[in-house]
Order: sequence, then C-alpha cells, then structure tokens
Amino acid sequence: MRPDSIAWERGAEVRAAADGWTRAGAIDAPTLEAIRNAYPDPGVTPSAVWRVLTAVMVTAVVLCTFGAFVLATRPREVGLSLLLWFFGAACVVATERLEVSPRFARRGAAGAAAFWSVLLFLGGLGLLLHEIPAIRGEDALRLFLLMSALSWAAACWRWGSPLFAGLSVASFLVLLAQVPFGRVLWIVVGVVLTGAAAQRLDDGALSPSQRRAAMVVLLAAVAAVYVALNICSLDQDLLQRLRPLAPQRVVPSAVLFAGAAVATAVLPLGVLAWGWRSRRTVLLDAGIVLVALSLVTLRYYVHIAPTWAVLLVSGATLVALALAIERALRRAPGGEQAGFTTDALFSDDRGQRVLQVVAVAGTLTPAATAAASAEKSFVPGGGASGGAGASGKF
Amino acid sequence: MNPDVVAGISRLRREGTLSTEQAALFSRVARRELVSVRVEIRALLYLGVLLLTSGVGIFVVEHHADIGRWAIAGSIAVASAACLAWVIRSSPSFAWREVESPSVAFDYVLLLGLLLFASDLAYVEAQFTLLGPRWAHHLLVVASVYVVAAYRWDSRVVLSLALSTFAAWRGVSVSVMARWLGSADGSELRANAVVLGLLYVIAAMLSVRLDRKAHFEEIFGNAGLLLLLGGLVSGVLLSDLGWGIWLVALLVVAAAVMWISSRAGRAAYFAEAVLAAYVGLVRLLVALVGDQATGLPFLLAAFLGIGALALVFATSRRMAGR
Repeated sequence: MRPDSIAWERGAEVRAAADGWTRAGAIDAPTLEAIRNAYPDPGVTPSAVWRVLTAVMVTAVVLCTFGAFVLATRPREVGLSLLLWFFGAACVVATERLEVSPRFARRGAAGAAAFWSVLLFLGGLGLLLHEIPAIRGEDALRLFLLMSALSWAAACWRWGSPLFAGLSVASFLVLLAQVPFGRVLWIVVGVVLTGAAAQRLDDGALSPSQRRAAMVVLLAAVAAVYVALNICSLDQDLLQRLRPLAPQRVVPSAVLFAGAAVATAVLPLGVLAWGWRSRRTVLLDAGIVLVALSLVTLRYYVHIAPTWAVLLVSGATLVALALAIERALRRAPGGEQAGFTTDALFSDDRGQRVLQVVAVAGTLTPAATAAASAEKSFVPGGGASGGAGASGKF
Repeated sequence: MNPDVVAGISRLRREGTLSTEQAALFSRVARRELVSVRVEIRALLYLGVLLLTSGVGIFVVEHHADIGRWAIAGSIAVASAACLAWVIRSSPSFAWREVESPSVAFDYVLLLGLLLFASDLAYVEAQFTLLGPRWAHHLLVVASVYVVAAYRWDSRVVLSLALSTFAAWRGVSVSVMARWLGSADGSELRANAVVLGLLYVIAAMLSVRLDRKAHFEEIFGNAGLLLLLGGLVSGVLLSDLGWGIWLVALLVVAAAVMWISSRAGRAAYFAEAVLAAYVGLVRLLVALVGDQATGLPFLLAAFLGIGALALVFATSRRMAGR
C-alpha cells in the first residue's frame, strides 16, 4: 500500500474511535474537535451507503463499456482475452489514479475498480488457457487457480481490501483440493495460515485494512481445517466435488472416521476457548457457528429425537443461554466479568440495527396471500422460518 | 488490540486532550481488555426465536391429529401470553419519543411472543374458519397487532415485521421480491406495492412532522421506497403496454425523492432513487436506440453511469458539508 493511504487509514481509525466516544457521551464536542485537528482527514470519506452506491455505479460503467466494445468489435476467443486484459489494465490505472487522490480514494470507486481489474484479468486468462490446446484441462484449471490466488493476494497487498484476501485464500484452497492428499494439505496449510495470520492481527506495522485482511485469512483457514476434519465432509467426500476430473475415491478406514468424529466435536470448542481467552469476538462468533454445524452433523448421524423436538430444545437452550449470559454480565460488579460486558461500549449500533431489521423481516415474514393457493391452509410458522402463515399445506 | 488507536490515545493523553480517566477507559477497550458481547447475545436470541417458532410449526403440523385442536391452540396461546406477560412486566412506560430497551433480550422475547400469537391465530383460523372466505384477513389482524406492539414497546424490529406482514396481506412478499416482480398477475401486485409504498412514505413523513416516534421514520421510509420504487421499476421493465407511463412516474418520483433526501440528509433514500432512475433510463435507452448489436445502448448506459457518479459525488459532498 502507498504510505499516504496507510497514514490516512491510521488517522481514520482514531477519528472513528473518537466518534464512538462522542456517541457514548465520554467526550465533549471541543475534545472531539481537538482530536480531529490532531488527526486531520485530508480527503473525503463518505458513509457506507455512498461507498456502496458508488461501487455499484462504477461496476455498471465498467461492464457497460466492456459490453459496448465487445459488441462493436465482436472479437474471437483470443481477441476477447486481450480485450479483457485491456479493460483489466485500464481498471488498474484507474485504481492507482483514484488511490493517489485524497478526494476520491475512499469513496468506493477505487475498491470497485480494483475488484474489476483482477476479475477481468482472470477472465482473460481463463479464456486464453481454454484456447491453448497444449495445456490439458486439469493443468489449465490449476494454473488458473494459482494465478487467481496470486492476483487477489497482490491486489490485497497493494490496495488493502480484506475481500481480496478472502478470495485469494479461497482460490488457494480450491487449488490444493485439485492435487492428491488435498484433505491433508487443507489441514496443514490451514493450520500454518491460522498461525501466521494470528500473529499479524495486532501488528502495528501493517495498515488497518491489512490487519482486517489477516483476520479474514484466519477465519478462512479455520474454516478450511474444520471442513477437512468434519466427519460429514469425510463421509460424503465433499472436497472431491472440487476436483471433478479426479479418480474414484478410496473409502476411508474406521480409525479415520473415529478421528474425524472426535475432531468435529473438539475443534469448535477449541475455537470457542481461543476466542474466550483472547477476547476476540470474531473468534467467539466463529466458534458458535462451528458448534452449530457440529450439532447439525451430530443430528445427521444420530437421530436422538424428532426434528420439532430438536428445534424446540435447541431454540429454548439458545434463548436461555443468551438470557443467562446477559443477566450474569448485567449483575456483575461494574457490568463486566472476565473482560466481557453487554454495554455497547463505543461501537456504532446503527449498522447492527439495520442487520437486525433486515434479518427479522427477511426470515420471519409470512408468505404473501396472493402468491399462495386459493385453498385455505396453515403453514408451520408461516414465513420462511416463522411468523403467522397463510400458505402451504396442512 | 487496535495499535493505531492505542498509540493515538497515548498521544492525546500526552498532549492533554484526554484526561487520565478517559484515556484509561478508552485504552482498555482499544487493547481488548474490555469487550462487548451485545451482538453475540442478540444473534443467539435471534437464532433461538427462529428455531423455536420453526419447531412449534413443525410440531403442530405433525401432531395436530394426535393432540387435538383445542390443546394445541391453548398451549401456543399460553406460551405467547407468558412471553408477553414478561414484556409487560419489564417494560418502561409509554412515550412518543425513543424509549431505551430495558435489556438486550427485551426485543426478542417480545418478538417470540408476537410470533407465537401469530402462529396461534393462523392455526385457529385454519381449524375453526372464523373468517370464512376472507381467511387471508387474519394477516391484517396480525399486522395490526404488530403495529400496536411496535408503538407500545418501541420496537423497530416488530415495526419492520408489521410492515412486511401488511404487505404480505396485500400479496406483496417483501422477502421474495423477485417472485412477485415476475409473477403472472404482476399488474395487481404492482399496484398494491405502489399504494403500500406511498402509505409507508406518508407514515414516515408524519412520524417526523408530528414528532410521534420520529425514529421509526427510517423503517417506514426505507420499506415504503423499496415498495414504491420497486413497483415502478417492475412496471417499466415488465409491463408490455404503457411502460412509458411507468417510466415517467418513476422518474418524477425518483427526482422528488432525490431532491427531498438530499435536503434532509438521507443517503439511503437518495441511493434507492438513483438506482431506480438508472434502471428506468437504461430501459429507455434500449428502446430508443433499437439496434443493440452495435453496442451503442451499452455505451450510452456507461455514459449515463458516469453522469450518475457525478451526481452521487456532488450530493454526498453537499450533504457532508451540511
């Protein structure tokens, strides 16, 4: 990343923290002004809504211009590859120009242009590899995945987007699944990446966005280890589906299955414990998700109770657990226990509120009456997952 | 730990901008010695409510013949009443301004109670046919109860559910927009979406003007604009006859929304209007140019996008300046 961009990001971190302190009433307006003077913002940083809107419009401009050139020139396969690379290069130039300018660097346009630069380059590469008869299909796929991993990693290093880090790791993992002993490689590489990324999470030498990229790499690596070790993944040979041209699978031994069963149970608890000890909420969230996946895996193999009973018991357990944690933290001295609290502290609640509203309206709204059949009926819970219902069969 | 914020706090303390007490507290949070788990508790509660309502639904479907209608209706009603009783007991008194929730769990226990009530009502209606051929009206009853509960207990979540349930009663499913946009009976649904959208937008304006739960404005406003602009865009894209009229209506509404939202400082409304107007104008370009094989419509759409970007940059700067 450019030194200027890193300096802007570091200043933005302090200014964002100061905004949180002001929202919580911990500092007054003159103090906020003094902090803004100490960490001036040379550019314009609009809110997330503006950045997303800008990124969408940049995407429309890039794709429409590309479409116009394709229709006007009607190139063959190699020509199309070159056109894709030309547009990719144009996006790189645009990104670099935007990144230099404090007025435009953080408006969402640079991020969208960077994303399309890599995607267009990879599109051109894919087409070209497909056209070269000397390269076999499997080798072409491997080369493409390797270039994808490298391109996204380079883009992340240069422009600092955590999304690019995630795409790079995903490409690399799919590449590893193409070779023999892919599952073992997923475990080994996953562990190595987890260790490497964990050490960089608080590294002040990295820019804030590169630290967030390290967190994305960590989560992707933990997910890779879990997928490789999960008993259902082993049983169904899920990694094999990423390798369509692979030879027939060998059925794993009973010992391997037993080991996978133990790992499926232990790994989520290990991640939860790690999150608890390090007080990293992202790891706690990942641990909760993995515990849920392991419970679903358990239910898949062991039918301990009917579905409704499992749903009722697990739902009631989750609500009771959440209420118990909240109560314990609220009643603890100073409202905190072991460094955890239910206070919002200085975080911005607005984004969470939007997510909350979208999640509830999206999953618990009943089915529309006009879309349902004329036959009167009752649907369990009503909507996609709950609420009152007026469609479906009873 | 956030090393940039930790270093910033040290510098601000040295320069006397922050007091020792302020710096100590902020530093604890920046060093992750004190962490909030509010989001995690909310996520657990949301998942719990989702699983519980789904479990109740499946149980009713599988066992209604074994247990009996009255027993099922009664037990769901008791569970719903228990949740709502807890809410009534722990809620603060009513006020027209924003009222802080007494706890993180409050909204979700209220949500569970209301969802169980809605499931019970749907079951009772399916079994005892209280409303006869107008059975779909039970959704109107549910939506009305949600609205009352949202105002009484000051819940944005319940209000959003009320608005989407009200839309579902009129045949518009907010959660699956694509289905109704492309359905065969699109014109009626489109009209419903436009009318509902207008109603919600008016409710948003009244919330602010009358200062009655003014913080509900964003829920009413966003739901209303999604329905209104979505309905108009679907008219432009999918209506075979008279799409030009839909386009004129869309452009007038989008321009009005852009003008009002830029003055009121509402970025989300402005973004929705820009995107809707862009889609409508692209449709116009395609129709005007005719021969798409030349790529000219695409080129014009790209220029239109650049124009939209210039508008976005100018408006965001003006809003930030205010």
